Amino acid sequence: MSSRAGSGLKGSALYKKTDGVFSITDDRKSIIWTPSQPPDAAPAITIAITNISNLQQTPETNPKVILKIFEKPPGGTEATPAITHLFHFNSPKAPREEANAIKEVLSCLLVGLKANDPSVSKVNGHLPVSKAPGALQFASSDGWYEDSQLKADFDLQRDLMIRNPFLKQTYDEFRKLKSDGLSLTQFNSQFWSTRTNMLRAHAVEFNQKKGSYNVLSEVKPIGDSVTINREQIQLVFSQHPLVKQVYDENVPKLNEVLFWERFFLSRLYKKLKGNRITESDTTDPTFDRYLNQSDDDRSLRRRQEETQIPHFIDLEGNEENQGGTKSGNRKDWTMRPNSTTKVPIIRSLNSVSERIMANVAPSDIDPANPIGMSEKEFNELTLRDLQAASNETRIELNIKEQSLIQSRHKSSVSEEARFYAAKVPSDVLHDLSDDVMNGIGGGLQSAIGFIDDSNSEDEDKLPHVGSKSSIAEAQEHLIQGVKARGKEIAVARGNTDSKTMQAGLSNGIFESLTLSHATTTEFLNQFWLLFLSGDADRAGELSKTVESLDRAMERINAVAAAAEKERQEVIEQQRQEIRAHYQRTQKRLAWNANTIKGGEKTVMEMMDPIIKTLRKALTDYKEAFAAQNLEAPGS
Amino acid sequence: MDGVDGTDRQEGKQDGPTPSLLFIILDTNPHAWALLQNTLPFSKAIANILVFINAHLAVNNANQVAVIASHSQRSVWLYPRPPSDPQHGDDSDTGMDDENKTDTSNLSDASKYRPFALIENSLLHSLRKLIKTTTEADIKATTSTQMAGALTMALSYINKATIAFLDTGAAAKPTPTALDSSDKAVGLQSRILVVSVSGDLAYQYIPIMNSTFAAQRLRVPMDILKLAGDTVFLQQAAFTTRAVYLQLKNLQGVLQYLMMAFLPDQLARKHLVVPTQEVVDFRAACFCHRSVVDVGFVCSICLSIFCTPPEGAICLTCETQLALGDYGNKPAVIPKKKKKKKRALDGGSSRATPAPEAA
Ligand SMILES: [Zn+2]
Ligand SMILES: [Zn+2]
Repeated sequence: MSSRAGSGLKGSALYKKTDGVFSITDDRKSIIWTPSQPPDAAPAITIAITNISNLQQTPETNPKVILKIFEKPPGGTEATPAITHLFHFNSPKAPREEANAIKEVLSCLLVGLKANDPSVSKVNGHLPVSKAPGALQFASSDGWYEDSQLKADFDLQRDLMIRNPFLKQTYDEFRKLKSDGLSLTQFNSQFWSTRTNMLRAHAVEFNQKKGSYNVLSEVKPIGDSVTINREQIQLVFSQHPLVKQVYDENVPKLNEVLFWERFFLSRLYKKLKGNRITESDTTDPTFDRYLNQSDDDRSLRRRQEETQIPHFIDLEGNEENQGGTKSGNRKDWTMRPNSTTKVPIIRSLNSVSERIMANVAPSDIDPANPIGMSEKEFNELTLRDLQAASNETRIELNIKEQSLIQSRHKSSVSEEARFYAAKVPSDVLHDLSDDVMNGIGGGLQSAIGFIDDSNSEDEDKLPHVGSKSSIAEAQEHLIQGVKARGKEIAVARGNTDSKTMQAGLSNGIFESLTLSHATTTEFLNQFWLLFLSGDADRAGELSKTVESLDRAMERINAVAAAAEKERQEVIEQQRQEIRAHYQRTQKRLAWNANTIKGGEKTVMEMMDPIIKTLRKALTDYKEAFAAQNLEAPGS
Repeated sequence: MDGVDGTDRQEGKQDGPTPSLLFIILDTNPHAWALLQNTLPFSKAIANILVFINAHLAVNNANQVAVIASHSQRSVWLYPRPPSDPQHGDDSDTGMDDENKTDTSNLSDASKYRPFALIENSLLHSLRKLIKTTTEADIKATTSTQMAGALTMALSYINKATIAFLDTGAAAKPTPTALDSSDKAVGLQSRILVVSVSGDLAYQYIPIMNSTFAAQRLRVPMDILKLAGDTVFLQQAAFTTRAVYLQLKNLQGVLQYLMMAFLPDQLARKHLVVPTQEVVDFRAACFCHRSVVDVGFVCSICLSIFCTPPEGAICLTCETQLALGDYGNKPAVIPKKKKKKKRALDGGSSRATPAPEAA
């Protein structure tokens, strides 16, 4: 294979684990892939260049070289997802070079195609960057963050767990409990399949590089001495070329350490930092000589001159035309070119930022793009209100009247409705109208059942509206509600002790309960994913998960038993105390074992919802199992 | 200082309590009330509510009240009566003489505070008329109540009342002696109290939720006093509008509930711990059958809810073609016999297969 590779338009590549050769046809109209066995095989895959909607490649740092080609589905529209083809370049010599060469030719071809496409609008003569499908997604961005890659990246996972101890705890616990039949790989992929979002976020964070910072504000002189390291000195030089000049001209004469000590006390330092210089600041002739020199870097100047600044945001140009300070920008002193003396801090911060940015190679721009203003910049600078209204390109939704939907689907009749429908309408109406016509005849006072001198014993015999017992019960109900709500508010505000939260359970029990809850949820998650996937190949995995669910129930019971044991111990201890108290004082203390909270009952109350969901999962599984056993006996 | 006198008076007004409007929606579903006849007859419930209304009016003489009936097939104004329905209606077939007698005797009762008597009189008159105009056919036709319509009427009335209140405030400004001239900043405090007896409201899911969100925006609490039945959406309405939902444990103690839980207006509630249901049922109803669902399918475009994936995975509301993913596959619990060889042969030529080996 390798002998044929290297021409630039060919490369050995695996496709679906089969060896073969990837090439671009001589007429540059399509790409083909030919399997290497048998030797004279016909091309297995042919994709017309015009059908390629996008290209992606793994980043340079990745040892695997995979080129991903998105093919427009035949006859498909924009909405249908593209078919993706993955070619793994595996030449023993230089897979990366081969892939790069092919990718470059392909993207050129694609850009060329798009440029002739009348349906792509052109801005300012340039191709709109974001819309050119031929433009490669910037190499590192996409490939890294695909689900499958994230799930397989063990380093990334380990790193994430180091930073997130709770996740590690869940992982360890879950791994300990996994059924033996489940391989570590299967387990890993299960565990991370529901957490790819976390992995992705971490990968993005991990791959971000920290840029340089405003070094003068970081280095702080303590008293007379100052500590500045090599790297910081480099930064000062690159951010403030003037300091470099001062250093060049003075350091052999001046001791290096002394130079920096004096610099950080000088007026020049204050000026560069953007601070106001006051009379009381110490003078230092060595540095003060440079006070009136501009800190502007000549190369930066040149770069600024080269960049074409649109006229209406060119402050200096506006000043020259007498349009600036005399009219529009008169009030806004930050919008004047020469206000260095007035607000030095803004000026100096701006110029430092500009220099920092100038030293960073832009990471979000494809170097292959045409030089000049990008579409985004252009849009930002456009005076939109001067343009003609553009056509709206919204997707129309045809919303149907809800009543139409409902009438098509017959609504099921509720139990209540069925019950009411069985009543005789004339009876219902008669009773009601009788009551309304005569019920309040005796005045409100008697109608609400208010009897001034009634005592509760008499009343209990005959319950009626407004009886003292009913009012007492209502009051009790309300006060319970107030208490519950009060507790809720206290919890929300965080001013409650953990004891109320734990309902009498000890810290240890409560913790193992929390953990048991978390792992059970995890197992349930896996169960439903597998159960609903309908994938017969994973049925073995599924039955292992069911075993885990069974064990989850056992674990909850074990925690409940432990909690009950603990509670009984507390009860026993209190009993003894009371006995001792009695022996000492001959007085009995009122005590009731029910006041001791916690125990099995509390655990079961807390876990009730998850126990219900466990039952639901197991029942559904058993039903499905029984049904399929019937269908295929003996299999 | 001539101005001192005027300013003082204005400030005095601003310190006074803000009036509140209590809007009661009375669920008059005849079926449900017939069932309650032995524990809490309709008339007794009305009497208790009247006492509650009186208490509300007694708190502040600028307080207002409105009552509407959510009946089997329509929502009907009970108080204040619409201008088209004068105090003594000319509906001769309803035995007007009887009514006149009760009305007059009531109003001439010297021991009764006249505003209380007026409301009692008017409310009872409207109710009697409502029941009289209810036909057997009406009762046969539906077993539910027009809650959504009643809520909509309540919200529009509240909106009008709020605007009217602000207008009088503005107009009265030059003459500080006029009533209600101050407190413009706070405005009228309106709340809705639903006295509910019907359970089954799922078929009104969408309009009820729409009114709930409107009430939430207007900061109108929708208090729910549940005498019978259980309605998921009214629980949600109370929760969303930060109001009180109470399912009574003892119907005969209804007055206690009214006075303790529902009398304070929203300004007073800021300083109180209000009793309410701890657990809220947040389930929704499907758009296709209007039944409450545990697991639903939501269209990612228009957010319609379905109890089962719609036919052909086309959303019934917006007709978007949706993708379903793996869900809904028949669970496979028994492993298939291995057919690895065949799969490997297929792999090379099939284009559409997404390649899992990319990992
Ligand atoms: Zn449905
Ligand atoms: Zn839809």
